[in-house]
Formats: sequence, C-alpha cells, structure tokens
Amino acid sequence: MFQFLLPDIGEGLEEAEIVEWLVEVGDVVVRDQPLVEVLTDKASSELPSPVAGRVAVLGGVEGQRILVGQLLIEIDDGVTVKQDFEERETSAKAPAETPAATPPSTLGSPPPFAAAAPSSSVSPGTRPKAAPATRKFARDLGVDLTQVPGSGPGGRILLEDVQSFSTGNQGGAARSLDPGLGVMPAGRHPLRGVRGAIARNMAQSWSEIPHIHSLDEIDASVLLGFCQESKASSMPLTPLGLTIAALARALRRFPMVNGHINSGEDTQEVVIPDHVNIGVAVATETGLVVPVIKNADHLNVAEICQVIADLAQRGRSGSLSVADLSGGTFTVTNYGSLGGRWALPIIPPGQSAIWGMGRIADRPLVVDGQVVARPALPIVMGADHRLVDGDLLEAFRHEVLGYLADPQKLLAGDIF
Amino acid sequence: MVVGEVAESLDLLVIGGGPGGYAAALHGARLGRTVTLIEKEHLGGVCLNVGCIPSKALLEVADAAALPGRVAGWGVAATTSIDMAQVQSHLQQIVSDLTGGVAQLLSQAGVQLISGTARFSRPNRVAVEHGDSLSHFEFADVIVATGSRPIDLPDLPVDGQRVVGSTELLFSSKLPENLVLVGGGYIGVELATAFAKLGSHVTIVEAEKQLLTGFDKRVAGLVARGLEKLGVALLLNHRAQKLESEGLLVAGPKGSVALPADKICVVVGRRPNSDTVGLREAGVLINSQGLVDVDAQRRAADHIFVIGDLTEGPALAHKATAEAEVAAEVACGGAEVFDPTVIPMIVFSDPQVLSVGVDPSQAKKQGLESFRFPFAASGRARTMGDSEGFVTVVADDAGTVVGVHAVGSHVAELAGEAVLAIEMAAAVEDLARTIHAHPTLGESIMEAALGLAGRPVHVSRVSKNEKS
Ligand SMILES: Cc1cc2nc3c(=O)[nH]c(=O)nc-3n(C[C@H](O)[C@H](O)[C@H](O)COP(=O)(O)OP(=O)(O)OC[C@H]3O[C@@H](n4cnc5c(N)ncnc54)[C@H](O)[C@@H]3O)c2cc1C
Repeated sequence: MFQFLLPDIGEGLEEAEIVEWLVEVGDVVVRDQPLVEVLTDKASSELPSPVAGRVAVLGGVEGQRILVGQLLIEIDDGVTVKQDFEERETSAKAPAETPAATPPSTLGSPPPFAAAAPSSSVSPGTRPKAAPATRKFARDLGVDLTQVPGSGPGGRILLEDVQSFSTGNQGGAARSLDPGLGVMPAGRHPLRGVRGAIARNMAQSWSEIPHIHSLDEIDASVLLGFCQESKASSMPLTPLGLTIAALARALRRFPMVNGHINSGEDTQEVVIPDHVNIGVAVATETGLVVPVIKNADHLNVAEICQVIADLAQRGRSGSLSVADLSGGTFTVTNYGSLGGRWALPIIPPGQSAIWGMGRIADRPLVVDGQVVARPALPIVMGADHRLVDGDLLEAFRHEVLGYLADPQKLLAGDIF
Repeated sequence: MVVGEVAESLDLLVIGGGPGGYAAALHGARLGRTVTLIEKEHLGGVCLNVGCIPSKALLEVADAAALPGRVAGWGVAATTSIDMAQVQSHLQQIVSDLTGGVAQLLSQAGVQLISGTARFSRPNRVAVEHGDSLSHFEFADVIVATGSRPIDLPDLPVDGQRVVGSTELLFSSKLPENLVLVGGGYIGVELATAFAKLGSHVTIVEAEKQLLTGFDKRVAGLVARGLEKLGVALLLNHRAQKLESEGLLVAGPKGSVALPADKICVVVGRRPNSDTVGLREAGVLINSQGLVDVDAQRRAADHIFVIGDLTEGPALAHKATAEAEVAAEVACGGAEVFDPTVIPMIVFSDPQVLSVGVDPSQAKKQGLESFRFPFAASGRARTMGDSEGFVTVVADDAGTVVGVHAVGSHVAELAGEAVLAIEMAAAVEDLARTIHAHPTLGESIMEAALGLAGRPVHVSRVSKNEKS
C-alpha cells in the first residue's frame, strides 16, 4: 500500500485545498496520471501519481483543506514501500515539456536510399494565436503580436485587440468582458477554490490593515508619447511597464514602503525585504491572480515590459506556476484596463502598499493657465498606516510621479 | 567581362516558370512592374508538366481502371481495359490545357517571356543561353524559382529505358509488367498506387523501416496496408544496389535478393537547382543540402529573392506559390513576410493522407488532447463504399485547434477546412458548432471536434485518457 502525502508544492506553503478528485476509489491508475487538482493560496495544480496501482482511500473530500504531510491518497501498488520525502517532492513536479522536434527538410541530400519526406516546417501552438489577416494588420501597424493580449476564445488575438494595442492606449477602450462575469446559479455554494482563497485574503487584509489612500491625476502626454516612440523598437514600452520601473526605483529609495508588518500571536515585527518584487493584478477566467515581477529593481524598462508580456501570456494560457505568483513585496493594479477611473484597492496580506492605475483618457487639465484637453492618468496609492505615514506616502508618490512626468530618467537611471 | 558583352536592362526578372515563378511574375505585373520571365523548358514547371498534375491525372485513370474491384457487390458488373497510348494523350491534354492557361495569363498580364537557361554572372546580371546564342541582362530585382531535380543513385544511373525517373514513368507508353520503385516517399507511394491499379506488379524498396518518413507512424502503417491490398510488395529496411542480369539486386537485413524488373523507377528525393543557376556567384548563401538561405521576406541578398523548392520547408507547389506572393510584394516595396502557421501535406495514396499541423504522436508527447473519429461511423464514407480510416483533431490546452490529420478515401479535399481552422486559431468549439452538410466527409472533422469537446455524437464516449 502506497501512502501519498500532500507534498510541499513550493515556497513554504502549508496547506492546500482539494478542488477536484480526478480518480475514484477502485480506479486503476498509472504512474504520472493526474490524481487530484489542488489549490494553494497561489495557484492550482494537478498532482500526478508517483506509482501505478489501484486507488484505495481518498484522503479528503472536495473543498476540504489539508496540511502538507497529511494523507492525500492511498494507492494499492502491490508493495509496501515507504517513500522518502525527497522522492515525493520530485514526483509532484509537473513533467517537463518536450519541445517539438524540428522536422527534417524534404530536399537536400538524404542518405542515398532514403525517400523524400516533406514536412510542414511550422509548429502551431508556439506562436501568437491570430488569423492571417490579423497578423498582416499587426505587421502593417508595426505591432508585435506577442505583446498583444487576445480577447478571443482560447486567447485568440482579434483585429480589435491589435487596434486598441496600437493606439498605445490599452486603457482607452474597456476590455471586453467575460460573458460569464457575475453569473452564478441561485442557491448556496461552498466558499472554496480561487473564490475562497480571495475571500480569506481580503478579509484578513481588511481587518488587519488600517488603510490610507492618496489620489492624484497626472498629465500623461509625455508618457504616452514616449511609449509611441518606442513602437518601432523590438520591445515597445507600455505605461504599465514604465510605471513599474518607476515604482521599483522608488521602492529602493523608500524600503519601508516595500516592507510589511508581521503580527502573529506572539510576534510583532517589521519585515524589510532585500529585494523588490512587484506583483501585477490581472483578472483571469477563474479569478484574480497576481503574477510577480521578481527583482524588478534589477531590470531595465525593456526587460520589465518583456516580463510583463511573458507573465500575461502565461496567465492567459493558464500556465502560471506557484513560483510566478509568490513572493510579491508590492502590488500594482491596473483597473484602468477595465475602464475604471478611481478605485480604493485593498493591500494584499504580507505587503504594506498598493498602486492603482485608472484609465488614461482625455480630460480637462490646466496647462499654462489654460484649460486644455490632455490624456490624464488617474493614480491611487494605498498604504498600511501602521507602517507608512502620510509624509512617507506623499514622498513616495511624488518620487514615482517625477519619473512618469519625465520617463527619460528611467532609461538613464541606474539599475541597482 | 567579354568584349562586346552588352547587357539589356530589365526591371523585375523572374527565373523559372513553375508554380513559384509564374505566380511571382503575375504578382509583379499586378503591382505595376515590367516583368520578364526566363524559362528553360516549359511554363508550369515540374508541378504542371511532370509532377502534381500528370501524377494526379494518372491516379484518376488508375482508379477508373480499378473500378470493377471497387464496385463488386454493388450490383454493377464492369470490365475495364487500358490503352496506354490513349492514357498518355489524355494526360498530355490536361497538361497542355493548364500550361496553355498559364501562358495566357502571363501574356494578358504583359509578362515578357524569354526562352533559355539563365545563370548569374554577377549579383545584378544574368547570362541567358538559348541554343547557340548568349544574351545578357541586368535587372533591378530578381526572383529565382528554379525548383529541383531528382537525386540520382550512382550505382543505378537513370538510362531513360529500364532505369527511369518519375517523369519517364508517368509518361511511359507501355505498362511495365514488373515495376520496382526505389524510394517510399510520397512520390514513390503515389506512383506505386497508380501502377498497381493499372495492373503492374509493383515493389517498393525503401531504406527506412517505414514508408513516408516524416509522417505519423500509424498513418504510414495504414498506407502500407492499403498498398499491400493492391498487391504492392513492400521491401522496407532494404536498399537497392545495382542492376544484374537476374534483376535489381536489393540488400536487406537477411541478405540480398534479385528482383525481376522490366522498369526501375528511382524516386529517392529531389535536389534544389541552386547550383545550376550560379546563385553562389550572385553572393547568396547556400547550405550543404543545396537550400538557399533566405530571410522571412524570401530575400537572399540585396534585390535577390528566392522561393519554392530552393528554400527550406516542404517542397510542395502550394508553398512555392505562397512564397511567390511574398517575394513579389517585397520586391515591389511591400512589407510582407512568409508567415504560415501550417503548410498542409497530402499523399494521394489509397487511402489518402492529409497531414496538417501537430500530429497525433506529437500531441501525445506534448500532452495535448486529440480525438479520432473513424470513417466507419461516417454515413458519407459508407455510401462511397470506403469506410476505412479516420479524422483526428488535435487541440492545445486552451482548446485551440492545432492539428488535423486524416487517412481515408478523398481526405485530400478536407485540407481546406483543416488549414483554415488552424490559421484562424479556431477553437474546437468553432468546428463543433459549425453546421456541416450531411452526408459529407467534412462532417467527420466536426464529429472529431465534438468528441474533443466531450460530447461525441456518432461514436460512443471513450475514456478521458485515450481520446486519440
Ligand atoms: C512526381 C511528382 C509529383 C508531385 N506531386 C505534388 C503534389 O501533388 N502536390 C504538390 O504540392 N507538389 C507536388 N510535387 C512537387 C512540386 O512539383 C514542386 O514542389 C513544385 O513544382 C515546385 O515549384 P517551383 O516553382 O519551386 O519549381 P519547379 O516547378 O521545379 O519549376 C522550376 C522551373 O524553373 C526552370 N528552370 C530551372 N533552372 C532554370 C534556369 N537556369 N533558367 C531558366 N529556367 C530554369 C525549370 O525548367 C522549371 O520549369 C510533385 C513533384 C513530383 C516530381
């Protein structure tokens, strides 16, 4: 009988929720067959079977949360060997992806007696999903499709997506909404899964952290012009990418904003990390996730934009790992992409500040004594008043806005 | 430079009149260029004259010849006889109709034709040989589409009589009694299918362990079974050595045999005509396989574009034609690139093979889901009296169609929907929710998609792990 205990699936998580059993008692399973989908605070994953055999006992019911080291499933494998921890850990890792081999070309000198074997040279699935006319449209506009979020089924990039991306104003048009948004059948539903995790975290933040907020609206014409100019380059810059670069620098200057208060039963301490990891909140089909740009203070602006694009791509394809979602020290939320102007975001547990960006749109601003229409970027900063006082909050905000008013400084600025 | 060598100036020059070259010329003319096309033999290239077209025409003839066997039991009695001379003129007629059409299109587009063999003498100049005369041309831009030629076997030289290439076999006026095809690629397989149906005793000698290397194993296996049903002998893992008095000496793992053969056709692959046109002299990079190094815009050097069988990728007519448009657009200042998601591949064997995108074995390795719909469950396949084979649709994790593979009668005609679905990044649901006409073979693509979506109709549900 083989006892499969819940393995430590990374980053010191202590428990996981059983979302769905993929096998039943009595089922015959093969090695590496997915047994169960579990959800941690960070991500959901399928755990493969370390052995072949017949399922004897399920260690919990769907929706139940179990601790690392507790019995997950018992499989009759015909032998009674106790696996050590090491083995369990490796078996829980997802199998590595095998890249498709490049098929051989038809022509050329095959071994003298070999036959001609034509092969299609391209492998779909490794490229942006877009129809030929959309790809052509993107080329004409000089838009790199790998950077464009697709709003079609399966993440397909539509003509409109390219259009709104190319106007540089990703916040210009409200993102088309998931038709399932807000829909749930009447009745009582157990609070579990991603929803349960969000509920727990938000309640904890709201009850523990005394929030203060500071709001402002800035003239974004220079920022947008800067992004526009970068369009032709291999890595076009975005307002979000530039904001994160600015935040990373400001967080280095004001480490307390990057820290947090850890208060437990018998601990009361301020934790100041030695790294700057900025999470970016994104809405996905299953709920809000916050992939993290690690060591953002060591990346230049183009690298930051690249990492954002990678994470967004993997978020859409559902392939973010626990590691991608862990370790944030500060969070940015871009509700402007959904059309919003002002919001007062909640600070995630384990952090002490959050930066919100509204939709960039033409609004009346006063420039040189005249009221003129200018693209305006609304920003909101929330902070934990236990750690961050008003003066620090304003100094931090001022520092960031200084970069956004003159993004050139971000390019010239030193990377730490 | 030879004294007195004066070069005429041309605007856009195209070398080679095959599916790559003639299409490039037409696009160039449409874009307002003055186009000159140089062809050394026949307009239409390999494809129209001695490749795709006559081979498919011959397969159609062979199907007609094999009709009595196919309709046995249908209540129709038929007998057939074959007149090879008339078969030849039938093929010639199709070829000349099509190549005549190409000539007309070119002339209507105002393309100037020059008959002769071109060779680069400098990066911006070609010498054209026609009989005894030699003329020189300079050009603003050139698109090179000189195609490919058969690879020879040194110990089995083609003599045009007993040892021949695909061209001579296609156009033979007498049906061979014992035909040996050396090479089990798609050309060998198609020729074997045709001649077996026409009545020859056919043997395929193939050095690899499977026919159609590069294709899915299961698919190749079904093709092998189809050939065996037609009476074709398959000598896999065998190499043709040389011609002896008793026949063709063939070496295999268990020793050598001599195969009786009045006709031996060598179809072991094709070699790009990059060497015969002096491309190296034009400053272009050519790899060890003879393929020309081009960028995504099909540019090999300043003002020199190269397309078709000369470039990397499957040596197929539709690839050449697609590249032609790209090269012409770019030569005329456009911003095109050659950017297909997939290039479809078809084998006109019996059963036919359609291969588009990720195949079922690759899908398995990459952990992608696939669903196989058998033609045994297709009403259309049943009415056509041929219900062997299947359609498999492969999807990625997001439910996007990334592969369509089929084996069976007439599956070549499913290529359009398959390629379109993948190019459009169609979701499995798009295929499943599109109403397909009944009864048609195309429904099988929808049925496979329905299976992938977890709600198969005309096949019973298979367990989650073995959809393919
Ligand atoms: C038996 C057979 C069956 C085939 N069946 C299919 C099929 O079913 N489907 C498919 O897609 N493909 C098929 N092919 C492959 C297809 O024919 C080629 O991929 C296609 O013809 C390549 O087009 P191309 O324009 O590159 O070159 P080609 O068609 O080879 O044309 C090149 C032209 O350039 C001319 N030329 C060469 N050198 C010079 C020179 N120096 N100066 C002037 N002119 C020159 C040649 O005379 C020729 O007309 C088949 C091939 C064969 C042999």
